[in-house]
Amino acid sequence: MAIQKQYYRRKKVCKFCVERIDNINYKDVKLLSQFVPERSKIMPRRISGVCTPHQRLLSDAIKKARNIALLPFASE
Amino acid sequence: MRNYEIMFIVSPNAAEEDIDKINSQIEGVITAGGGKAEKIEKLGKRRLAYIVNKFREGSYVLFTIQADGAIIREVERRLRVMDLVIKYLTVRMDDDMKRLDKIKAHRQKRAARRGRAHAEAGERRGASPVEQMPEE
Repeated sequence: MAIQKQYYRRKKVCKFCVERIDNINYKDVKLLSQFVPERSKIMPRRISGVCTPHQRLLSDAIKKARNIALLPFASE
Repeated sequence: MRNYEIMFIVSPNAAEEDIDKINSQIEGVITAGGGKAEKIEKLGKRRLAYIVNKFREGSYVLFTIQADGAIIREVERRLRVMDLVIKYLTVRMDDDMKRLDKIKAHRQKRAARRGRAHAEAGERRGASPVEQMPEE
């Protein structure tokens, strides 16, 4: 009884796996800021498609970056 | 001895000489404790992501060092005391480096294996072995 989807949803892939970025560093603001939307919350996996191991590294890096004022904790 | 990175922010009012003075002081503390300052990098003035001590910008300095816990404790104490330093962060890097080396070694092994497999397949077919490694 499943309703068939009307449109094709593209499968999300982990950016770090695809581009083989091993080093998720807290100093790399350009990379990290792709995963913090304007409210500066960390983007959830279900939206960004990042895999679990990489999301863990990513969130650690973002939190470090916040500590040294490279990324905001919160912004309006 | 472990690898650490210490990053700190110096107030924007500080002159270039003040920053140099802080850097040499910190380096002195590290070498006195038996550690080694591998790299001292001034990252320049940057806008802060949020207001710290009423400052909107600051000069970032990055130390890459080899040290142990006692040295780190002393360095952090010094940084806390200094009025010009408005924020600091110490990150331990050796676990990260170990992880990266492992991934790198794994990749190389896989690439080598794949290259060999290709070459063998080529010989069996009677063709010349493939010279180039297949693109990963």
